[in-house]
Amino acid sequence: MKLLCLLCLLCMFVICSAQTPLTVHWPDLSQLEPDVRDQIKSQQDILISTVKDTQSTKAKLSAAYGAMGEIYHAYSLTAPARECYLNANTLDPKDFRWIYLLAKLDQLDGRVDDAIRRYRIFTSLRPELVAAFVNLGNIYLELDRLEDARSNYTTALQKDPNSPAARYGLGQVALSQRNYAEAVEHFEKALALAPDANRIHYALAMAYRGLRNEEKTKLHLAQQGPVGVRVADPLMDRLVQLVEGARVHLIRGKLALEAKRYEEAANEFRKAIEARPYSVPAHVNLGAALTQLGDLKGAAEEFSKAVAIDPNNANAHYNLAVLLANEKQHQQAIVHLQAVSTINPNDLGARFFLAQQLLYAKRPDEALKLAQSLYSTTRALQHGALVGSALAELGRCGEAAEWQRKLIARAVEERNNELEAKLKTELQRYESCRP
Amino acid sequence: MHSVLQLSAFLAIAVSILAPIYVPQTSLPNFEEVAVKTGLNFHHYNGMNGKFFLPEIMGAGAALFDYDNDGDLDVFLVQGAAFEPVSNPPAGGRLFRNDLEVGTNGSRKLRFTDVTEKSRILANRYGMGAAVGDINNDGWPDLYLTNLGSNQMYLNKGDGTFDDVTKNTATDDPRWSTAASFVDYDRDGWLDLMIVNYAEFSFTNSPNCYAPTSARDYCTPRVFRAPGNRLLHNRRDGTFEDVTVAAGVDKEFGHGLGVVTADFDDDGWIDIYVANDGDPNQLWMNQKNGTFKNEALLAGAAVNRDGKTEAGMGVDAGDFDGSGTDDIFVTHLMEETNTLFTNVGAAVFEDRTREAGLGMPGRRLTGFGTLFFDYDNDGWLDLLVVNGAVQLLPELIRKGDPFPLGQPNQLFHNTGNGRFVEIVEQAGPSFQLLEVSRGAAFGDVDNDGDTDVLVTNNNGPVRLLLNQLGSRNHWLGLRITGKSSRDMLGAQVDVVVRKNQVLRRRVRTDGSYLSANDPRVLVGLGNATQVEAVRVRWPDGSVAELKAPPIDRYTTIKQ
Repeated sequence: MKLLCLLCLLCMFVICSAQTPLTVHWPDLSQLEPDVRDQIKSQQDILISTVKDTQSTKAKLSAAYGAMGEIYHAYSLTAPARECYLNANTLDPKDFRWIYLLAKLDQLDGRVDDAIRRYRIFTSLRPELVAAFVNLGNIYLELDRLEDARSNYTTALQKDPNSPAARYGLGQVALSQRNYAEAVEHFEKALALAPDANRIHYALAMAYRGLRNEEKTKLHLAQQGPVGVRVADPLMDRLVQLVEGARVHLIRGKLALEAKRYEEAANEFRKAIEARPYSVPAHVNLGAALTQLGDLKGAAEEFSKAVAIDPNNANAHYNLAVLLANEKQHQQAIVHLQAVSTINPNDLGARFFLAQQLLYAKRPDEALKLAQSLYSTTRALQHGALVGSALAELGRCGEAAEWQRKLIARAVEERNNELEAKLKTELQRYESCRP
Repeated sequence: MHSVLQLSAFLAIAVSILAPIYVPQTSLPNFEEVAVKTGLNFHHYNGMNGKFFLPEIMGAGAALFDYDNDGDLDVFLVQGAAFEPVSNPPAGGRLFRNDLEVGTNGSRKLRFTDVTEKSRILANRYGMGAAVGDINNDGWPDLYLTNLGSNQMYLNKGDGTFDDVTKNTATDDPRWSTAASFVDYDRDGWLDLMIVNYAEFSFTNSPNCYAPTSARDYCTPRVFRAPGNRLLHNRRDGTFEDVTVAAGVDKEFGHGLGVVTADFDDDGWIDIYVANDGDPNQLWMNQKNGTFKNEALLAGAAVNRDGKTEAGMGVDAGDFDGSGTDDIFVTHLMEETNTLFTNVGAAVFEDRTREAGLGMPGRRLTGFGTLFFDYDNDGWLDLLVVNGAVQLLPELIRKGDPFPLGQPNQLFHNTGNGRFVEIVEQAGPSFQLLEVSRGAAFGDVDNDGDTDVLVTNNNGPVRLLLNQLGSRNHWLGLRITGKSSRDMLGAQVDVVVRKNQVLRRRVRTDGSYLSANDPRVLVGLGNATQVEAVRVRWPDGSVAELKAPPIDRYTTIKQ
């Protein structure tokens, strides 16, 4: 804490000596990953020495503050990033980068008037960057200033006729005005330009719903997903390149995983492992991404590495068990599921899975015991059905049939038609094996 | 100030559009915080131990309910617990009796007394939320507590004490339950129970999670599997039956945090809306045969207008635009908006967040408890959102805040033209505090004809915000009860102020976040000095009308 204050005072001092009125409040770095902390500290050192250097020009000082701001911004330390950008902008008002990045922060913080003002300044300096017009359009759209939004999206489209983000924005303007036919036209074009952006399907479905076209509404709802429209944004993309450290790659990988961008996710997790080879979450998540990409062998390797590093990681055991079960390696799957049950006795899903695997592995005694315990806890019909299966597997077909009939009665009472049908099919099997 | 009236059967008449009522603003604060002053001494304990367990930042809620049937709202506050043995554990959830004194000149003295021990409520588990409903139709409201782990059903014996009947009623859910709602979904005159569950969390399987700064932080619920919800049917014999599968509500999973019930398609059968954290929300439409179908996606209420799944926390339903249909409002994470789904009829929703002016103000804060309520009694439903982050805020870390999640709460005034305006300074000093607010229970605590708000803070003190503004306008207070004096949750109330001006409200205790609200219906009348009629559609579908009810007082309407 003392060191922090000292740095803060030093920074205040050096800023004053550079005749800029703004104070940069150093963030607390004590809880950050060591790599990240080192990276930020070294940039702080550069900034301090640049400020101390009486030979530093305003342009050089501006660049140093800007670079510091970018690093903070890259790690979501937005308050000190803003202060650095403001200093950079004051020292060199014509450097468009700091105005743009300030506008991005304004937009993030909900300072809409400042964001609009800065984006306008930026577009006067660099009218070729489509992202700025799209960002302006997005702000106006959120403010329900539809004509201003339309105007900015239109400008963006004039500069880049293939901008899916601008098309999508125009579609949203039309949807807000309940001009459904126009919305459909824009969304269809946006989708053609960015077919992977499956979130567009939802907007398209809502536009078709407005036109009372039920067939197309359902068709697009069935295709909707989590991937949104992206706009090329070189200034923001640059920030992404600044990031170091396993944790941040891990976070990015998870975001990509959730957005179903599996290749990107796998790459981020690989970078995380590169930065920290013994990171269990990185191995587990890389395994998950590889599973989605169909590389099951690679996935199993990653889960195995995770288990080797941390034998108490239930997720790694469970995922490995799923892959092994898929390969019909039931005995090995059982080992990992038993580990999950030991680590997390309340994981009913894992216990159910384990009972199934015990059955497949021809270990019905154990399966029965587990299924009975599970059913007594949950009273769930599907858990009860496993008891029947285990009894039948043990050759106790009469008991199995009797048990099954009770379950069927419950399924009828609960109007669970789907399970009732399944239970009845199994009952036939049990009855036919009756001595 | 209180009268009981019987109604005659009446044919339902279509609801017409409400004309705006203008009420000038005053310069006085709208809400005054009086918790400690009135004896509500309670500090939430979240058990945090540096391991960043997700449950510690999610609770807790509260209930406003008249457990002793003396005509004023009492308070139950849900408490957390220690994750590991500690030398001085918290005392568990607390019940405070409201000893309101009303002078002959109308003056009010509000005082709460802790009666937990006397009540025999033993809520010393890791508590999350509370729901209120009379499960045995004896006229005494019962209390359901959701926990991290087994839940608790407390039967109100009517003598100031409660019995834990969880086992006998078969109303437990051993998972991490959050919100719950009492709802008579099959119109048999008995309250059923919908329980919403959040995540399959365990202490042994809680991974380390990190913020974009790379610092250790709380996990999102997505690292844990979603457990699914539970619907319990009241067997009318003191027990409940698990009908989750039979009713079809097992078909969709999500990390559930909020639940609200309303008749969204106006077919006379109550539907259920579940707000999920990071998963699509569910709109369980009542199929009138004991089953439900999730129609949220097609209805336009599952995700926001961009098709993006948001982090649903608190939720409420209400007719904010006077269209005669219940709209939905869901609170979300910072960088997302809180989202307003406008019901354009027959449970078809449009995300009109931007048009309502609610987009930008929600982006900078993480919302939890919320409700549509008419704080200034001008006839239009306003909104209050209580906030508190779920990821550590770097600016508060830098300032040395030991629990750096605090954010201010927000009051939004409905301007009557489909838009809301945030009221900042005028809302009162408590709206400037940076606290980790979670639950919010709404009700007229001092019976003066306006809605007060009980705000719970995670790892912080409870706040009671007394409304100083609403009672300056005229109002109509209704308690809608059944033959057994039970509050008829789910009853729909149309207040015909004058021709072409009908205000639609409903009887409920659910909505908001982890909290239970005043079951009475309080309707702001602005400058109107009389009401032509009140029409009630009872949960069984029958309709009744009361002509010219008295205003500026509470009236009980009995079925």
